[in-house]
Amino acid sequence: MSSTARERSGRLSAAVLGAGLIGVDLAAKIMRSRSLDCRLVVARHDDTPGLRHAAGLGLPTATGGVQSLVDAPDPFDVVFDATNAVSHAENAERLKPLGTMLIDLTPSKVGRMVVPTVNGTDALNHGDINMISCGGQASIPILHAIARQHRIDYVEVVTTAASPSVGRSTRLNLDEYIETTQDAVRDFTGVKDVKAILNVSPARPPATFRVAMSVLGEELTAESVRAVVATATEPVRAFASGFEVTACVVDDGKALIAIEVTSSGDRIPRYAGNLDIINSAALHVAELYAATHLSTADAVMS
Amino acid sequence: MIRTADGESGERKPVLVHDPTLRDGHHAVRHNLGPDQLRRYAAAADAAGIPVVEVGHGNGLGASSLQAGQARLDDDEMLSVVREALPNSRMGVFMIPGWGTVQDLKKAIAHGVDVVRIGTHCTEGDLAERHLGFLRDAGVEAHGVLLMSHMASPQRLAEECARLVEYGASGVGILDSSGHFLPADVAERIGAICHTVGVPVMFHGHNNLGMAVANSVAAVEAGAGIVDACARGFGAGAGNTQLEVLVPVLERMGFATGIDLYGLLDAADIAGRELMPAPPTIDSVGVVSGLSGVFSGFKNRVLDISRREGIDPRDVFFELGERQAVAGQEDLIVDVALALREEAHSGRPAGESRPSDQV
Repeated sequence: MSSTARERSGRLSAAVLGAGLIGVDLAAKIMRSRSLDCRLVVARHDDTPGLRHAAGLGLPTATGGVQSLVDAPDPFDVVFDATNAVSHAENAERLKPLGTMLIDLTPSKVGRMVVPTVNGTDALNHGDINMISCGGQASIPILHAIARQHRIDYVEVVTTAASPSVGRSTRLNLDEYIETTQDAVRDFTGVKDVKAILNVSPARPPATFRVAMSVLGEELTAESVRAVVATATEPVRAFASGFEVTACVVDDGKALIAIEVTSSGDRIPRYAGNLDIINSAALHVAELYAATHLSTADAVMS
Repeated sequence: MIRTADGESGERKPVLVHDPTLRDGHHAVRHNLGPDQLRRYAAAADAAGIPVVEVGHGNGLGASSLQAGQARLDDDEMLSVVREALPNSRMGVFMIPGWGTVQDLKKAIAHGVDVVRIGTHCTEGDLAERHLGFLRDAGVEAHGVLLMSHMASPQRLAEECARLVEYGASGVGILDSSGHFLPADVAERIGAICHTVGVPVMFHGHNNLGMAVANSVAAVEAGAGIVDACARGFGAGAGNTQLEVLVPVLERMGFATGIDLYGLLDAADIAGRELMPAPPTIDSVGVVSGLSGVFSGFKNRVLDISRREGIDPRDVFFELGERQAVAGQEDLIVDVALALREEAHSGRPAGESRPSDQV
């Protein structure tokens, strides 16, 4: 890790790799962080519209993909990978030797899967963190809480995202989205029988990002599920204020919990809660990491 | 001897009839067909010379779920039973990216599938890019089809179809998932697509407004080379285009289907007797589903939830239409039902009267 970078700003240096819908929103969010300094947004080619958008926000930009991060004079403390599931493994291989903390927003399954309200502290001991998927970040806090209190036989997660909020890499990575979301739900809940589904809605005006969870288990009651859902929701709302439960119905051993997420950011439309939830979670994890490393650095300097 | 639906012969333009009875029909019976039912209908369809018999869960490969209904048989069993019963006809499957994956396609290929349709919502053709590319590389005939096509303009549908061809589709087309179209709507859209692409164009109708056969006729007149139809109209909600009606109509119009009339009628009789408690009918919610532009497959779930919450299922359909719910968003039904129940309890009159030409 580059201590010189920290000394210059009192913040960890950060870069965003990938200038699609996720990358640009993430860069805008990092600009508001007190512990991270967004020093570079990188795309593969200079005709990427998102790169011009990032430049318009006043951020330094570069082309050439991961190579331009490897070639940077000071290695970055934190790199957010917002490219695609296939590219992440190679990006990680190039960047890890530099001591860079990687936070992967693609459904690559390469790094340690983290949901901030469940295992956020895992970010402190793993160098490559995977943020699963938007549907995973929206559902796992609730599913994990329900599974801790009840015996569950089956879980289903149906995500609906608005067409304009789903960028090209996500469109090419639907299979990875499904597989990674299913694996993560299995890991975090211990339930073996899990199904994930993704709808991309053509509605105009666009539909608000929504995740519907169906849970089967004999012990489920309206009181117990509602209480658990309410408790699990609050810590998520602390970093993603547009996260809301819109339905919670329990009927004959089957619970249906629907949540919707509106974007609280100023640069993406309100309906694009899918971008907001995964980016807010990624930033939250990075800030946890930064808090530890900056306080260690302070201690060393004092 | 082949008894065709029309005695005349000569230069007749072929139309390929694609039969999704054992796939779309599943919506009408909660995806509950058993192996004997699949086998007997498939064998009868094969004997009649129906060129393509499509099988699967109503939403296609990998779609068995609480959201869309859990199927009695898994995909493997459905495909192996139907494959064996089709010595001559080609076997088709359907898959929606986001519901099924390349893993499901590999399984279907292992079962000897001949034609795979990849479906996306009307403006989302690029979701099929990877799956169509995979099928092209695997040497399997792949078509790209657009669901909920009433939600997009003719020009937009034509552009999406052109992209599907670029990705590797050797056939493209549109599904009237809600049974919303009138014949002129279909003619305009199929015409625009045929004008834009050089591959066969398909149309898949639903009968919510009693237009399925008329819409299919409009489609072939506008240039469609593939039409979907189901025995007894067995399909989601108000049902699909009725196969044993459409085929003789096409033959009388001078198109060649290659299907034997008595064989076709026998297959339809078997379907009527063995696949369904009663043939689909255009009931009140069927009409409302078509008017509101909501996927017909929502019907059973809307009726279940409306009964539980004590509300009018017609109001649920119109509200789902307002929200532009698309196939796959069955989870919205609960939210809509709860909101309508709240409104009813807070004294707002439910089911305000609506002009019958709305939407």
